[in-house]
Amino acid sequence: MSNVNCILRSFLFLLLLGFLMTCAFVCHAASIPAPNAEALLKQSDTYRNGWPAYVVHVKITDFEAGKSDEEHLYEVSQKGTDKTYVEFMSPREKGRHLLMLGDDMWVYLPDTSRPVRITPLERLTGDASNGDVARTNYAVDYSPAYVRTEKVGAVECHVLELTAKRKGATYQRILYWVRADDARPVRAEFYLTSGKHIKSATFDEYEPFGGKILLHKLTLYDEIRHNSHSVLEYSGAAQRELPDKLFYQGRADRF
Amino acid sequence: MKSAMLIAATLVLAGACRALGQDASSERNALQTRYAVSVFDDATFYGDLRESLPVVLNQVLIEPSFGVRYRERLTFSTSLIGITRSYTDSATQLRVRETYGGISAGDFDFTAGRKMVRWGTGYAFTAAGVLDPPRIPTDPGDRLNVNQGRDLVKADYVRGKHAFTLVWSTAALAPAGVDLRDTTAFRYNVLVRGFDTSLIAGNDRGGDSFGGVTFTRVVGQGWEIHGEGLWREQAAALLGAKCTLHSGVTLIGELYTPPNIPYYRDMSISPRAGRQHYGFFNAGKSRLRELPGWKEWDLSGSIVANLDDRSFTGVVDVNRWFGNHFSSYLHLEIPHGGETSDYGAAPYNTASSIGVRFQL
Repeated sequence: MSNVNCILRSFLFLLLLGFLMTCAFVCHAASIPAPNAEALLKQSDTYRNGWPAYVVHVKITDFEAGKSDEEHLYEVSQKGTDKTYVEFMSPREKGRHLLMLGDDMWVYLPDTSRPVRITPLERLTGDASNGDVARTNYAVDYSPAYVRTEKVGAVECHVLELTAKRKGATYQRILYWVRADDARPVRAEFYLTSGKHIKSATFDEYEPFGGKILLHKLTLYDEIRHNSHSVLEYSGAAQRELPDKLFYQGRADRF
Repeated sequence: MKSAMLIAATLVLAGACRALGQDASSERNALQTRYAVSVFDDATFYGDLRESLPVVLNQVLIEPSFGVRYRERLTFSTSLIGITRSYTDSATQLRVRETYGGISAGDFDFTAGRKMVRWGTGYAFTAAGVLDPPRIPTDPGDRLNVNQGRDLVKADYVRGKHAFTLVWSTAALAPAGVDLRDTTAFRYNVLVRGFDTSLIAGNDRGGDSFGGVTFTRVVGQGWEIHGEGLWREQAAALLGAKCTLHSGVTLIGELYTPPNIPYYRDMSISPRAGRQHYGFFNAGKSRLRELPGWKEWDLSGSIVANLDDRSFTGVVDVNRWFGNHFSSYLHLEIPHGGETSDYGAAPYNTASSIGVRFQL
């Protein structure tokens, strides 16, 4: 009988110990503050915007049903967080330019030689939209909130929910996975005002450019037409001094 | 005219001296070049011609463009058009679309040569585009790129959100048969509260002085509004809007009313007809990507109407890309109205242009 009591006592002791350890673990976990979403988002932006003013070349390859069917080349000049000038370099779009100042966007078409105002909805055309190329400072356009921490493959990630600060933002909501170690972007889901999940992105490769680790390859998946995706490859990123008048909307005599 | 040329030359030289004197150590690549070549083979078939004219107009166009920029300061750009046209007879012509040099010095830019300037914000019409090439409402995009610039000297001063432009344009080198005058014009452009606004003033030598305003503004997610107003003897006004739907379809509508004065009057309009009123509507979608296999297709339909004599022309444009360099197109115009009306006066019932285009 005493053996049974001894076993029961041991069992109860172990149960109590387990309970206390669980409580301690939960209390400890609860005491870890949630990551600072603002800081994470700002840090994650630095992987796409290495300098206050810079130029980068972007090659976009569109894939339909797994086969590459189109290539587009762009030279993107960015100054500060709200001025972007994009020169279209591929033969099909040669002579075309895009200018984004804050939420205002113009496209310069060679056949009209004048700036044509673009609406926010026109920014969304294509697998990789104008907004995807020209607008990469999420901390300026979106308010972040920490959602949870989870693994994407083997990578521990913080999940942020980004809500557009203004109606003029390219997307109204983004779910954004950033690496827990260094806030490097890993994955994103893009949503419209209607709540429709329009695109997803994976941030596939990073490379050193001018002493900084920057995004080299990004894949955008069309969530409406599931057989199509675009690969954006960034190269030649370099710090540049860009004159303000490069970003003046009335300047039609673009080079 | 000589003194104006002298002032222009002085401005350009002063800019050049200042540009060359500036430290360019942190500039982008010292020498940058751009080039493009387009070749069109276009055939237009006229249906039910009222006059004894050939039914087919054949055109081959070669359009090379080249630009070079040195240290973001000096620019030279040229764009030529070679046209071989076979209709009542065959003719070959070389046109200079643009050829100009530019100097950038601090906040100033100076340009001299033949250059396209477009100050109007309208798509199919313009009231305030005092230096713009003529808008053709049935072909507002100038599908064969045959428009030519004005011969001018231009000085731009850009400071923050404010830009000031002074242009003097001469008609001395204008192509034969084009009714142009020497024009001096000034524009102030500013982006304020989302309104891209310009104030324009100037004078045509031996003609009228003019003053006007243009604006564009994006409203909400899918709307853009634009307008122009100009006073030249009488008022001319344009109001338009563009609406983008979630499907990617773009709708453009414009209302335009020019006074019936020689500057604005179309050949087919009687001088006694009074003020004219025009309407334009376009629906189009580039890249029909939602339809499997139609990603390379662009489709658009327009109607342009004279609201006074109720004549109109319907226009259909279809474009299809083959890879990155080749495309083919169909441009169909169907005029309707009385024989003395604005659009009904066209000597054909249909004009269908088909062609192929190569771009490098």
